[in-house]
Amino acid sequence: MFSEDFTLSKRQLGFLLFTAGMLGFVAILSIDLLDSGREGGIGPAQRIGLFITVLTAFAGLTLIPLGDKPA
Amino acid sequence: MTMQRVSSPIFAKHISRILLVIGLLMMLGYFVVYVVYAANLIRFPFDYDQGEGFELVDTIMFSKGQWPYQDTETYPFYSSNYPPLFHVIAAPFVWLFGPAYWYGRLLGFLGTLVSAAAIAYAVYRGGRHRLVAVIAGLAFLASNTVYHIGPLFRQHMTMVMFEILAIVVLAHVNEIADKDKRRKQLILGLALLLAAGFTKQLAYATALAAFAFLFIRNPRRAIISGAIFGAVGVALIVWIVVATDGQWWTQTIAANVNPYNAQQTIGLYRLFWRLHGFLIVPAVLLVLYEFYFDRLSIYSLWFIAAIANGTLSGKWGAGDSYFATAIAATMILSGIFISRTLNRQWHFPENYLSRIFVPPLQRYAPQLATLALLIVPFAYIGYGRAVLHLPTTGPVFEQVADFLDIEPNAQGNFYDSAGRLVGGYADIGHLTTREDIEAGEAIVALMNATDAAVLSEEAAFSLRAGRDVITNPTQLLNLANNDLFEGDALIDMIERQEFGLIVMRAQFYPPAVLEAIGQAYQHDQFIHMNGFDYIIMRPILDEPLP
Repeated sequence: MFSEDFTLSKRQLGFLLFTAGMLGFVAILSIDLLDSGREGGIGPAQRIGLFITVLTAFAGLTLIPLGDKPA
Repeated sequence: MTMQRVSSPIFAKHISRILLVIGLLMMLGYFVVYVVYAANLIRFPFDYDQGEGFELVDTIMFSKGQWPYQDTETYPFYSSNYPPLFHVIAAPFVWLFGPAYWYGRLLGFLGTLVSAAAIAYAVYRGGRHRLVAVIAGLAFLASNTVYHIGPLFRQHMTMVMFEILAIVVLAHVNEIADKDKRRKQLILGLALLLAAGFTKQLAYATALAAFAFLFIRNPRRAIISGAIFGAVGVALIVWIVVATDGQWWTQTIAANVNPYNAQQTIGLYRLFWRLHGFLIVPAVLLVLYEFYFDRLSIYSLWFIAAIANGTLSGKWGAGDSYFATAIAATMILSGIFISRTLNRQWHFPENYLSRIFVPPLQRYAPQLATLALLIVPFAYIGYGRAVLHLPTTGPVFEQVADFLDIEPNAQGNFYDSAGRLVGGYADIGHLTTREDIEAGEAIVALMNATDAAVLSEEAAFSLRAGRDVITNPTQLLNLANNDLFEGDALIDMIERQEFGLIVMRAQFYPPAVLEAIGQAYQHDQFIHMNGFDYIIMRPILDEPLP
């Protein structure tokens, strides 16, 4: 990965995006679980954030079948 | 898998060319409007947009070798919340011409021309279509947002210029075989990124996009260059923080956490779509194409980062200018998409998506190619209609406005298709008049008539009257919003009526300061200038308090 010529493949980028999306999704949901003093449930900014993380994870999934082609 | 290359009927090519020329003429028309507006503003000696004067004050301070990041608890209670580069660039003009607005506005205007040229270059390099490249560059200047903030004495568009130059320089850096040449180009691109960041903090999103691109193409190079970039950036920040006794951190970082209005952000996204939608669609199509059928370019990653960064436009003090970077990225991607469509440069390598979509479409390839030739140029015509803005008075403009049957909707002499639709959109763009200059001089005359200190919400009057510039109201409000401003000394001066005159416009002082003004000063008169009512206030009592 750290060679002079290495470049990320579509599959690797797909895994990266999928992982980032899932971690982001959990992190945004955790705001409510960890911060017990908050009221009002999931707010509009969180909903947008959740949508973006799901979109990122989905985009990552769709890249994985593209294999070793350079990203 | 490649779409079959087919030739389109000659009439379709001619019609396509004619439509592109119509698009070009529309963009040239907007360019004329832009030049007229810039020339008008460059001659105007007062604040046109709120806050311009304080950028001039920052520039004056740098020209004297002083930092503008000062302690706001002591006289003159002034500080700045912007990084230094734009003001440092403008400082030599103070040595040559003294305090004036024209050179800052000229620098801003020239910066947008450089940006447009860089966009045109990027589009030509990516699509090899000269006419589209020229239209794309002009389309950037035709955007309502770029138009109305381009020729201001503000640092924002200079940041955007550095961002565009950095992205264009880095776009093909990985393809340079010669190691020495590649390193030099990488250093140049990263230096431009640093310049953007030290012009305005908002450039961080462009830096993230650039490093994401470098990481995808070669993680090793990205990590090494990122470490060096970070070290240089941190070293510069530490140097300024130490040199300003920590004020730089307080004023530009800590005070920059402002109240957030989600509705403003949503409104500005809608406006961004409404104005630029005709070009956002081809830009998104190119991003998708690169995602699934080609390599991801820096432009696509930049576009995504810049659009996402628009979420900050709901911050207090932010606005449509936060979309200027996204507009630049949109122009590059849409230009490349349109060029490639007209040049029929699309290839669809075999994968699970091309197996689904290409075979059914392949039999219609000739018709689709002809249709694309005719439809794609309409993107610029549709965009030209969406961003309609022009003065409605004066030679030629009045006739054009009559012909288009449009009425002024901004300050009596200007039509803006985006004017007053959403909060956070800067309702400027109109031309200033002789009456505006006379009104400004009248305020200066009132200042000259008092021997006492004067407190003005805009710096121009104080500078023109040769008085101290006291406070930067919006920065005091930024600080107060973050519990970083107490203001005892300033409030004491107000309560003791040490100011012979107070000039206010938007009343952006912190609430405690406004309250003190309300108790010690009374309204004297309004002076209408540049579409705004300036409030002139005088002490309530004849004699100052003991």
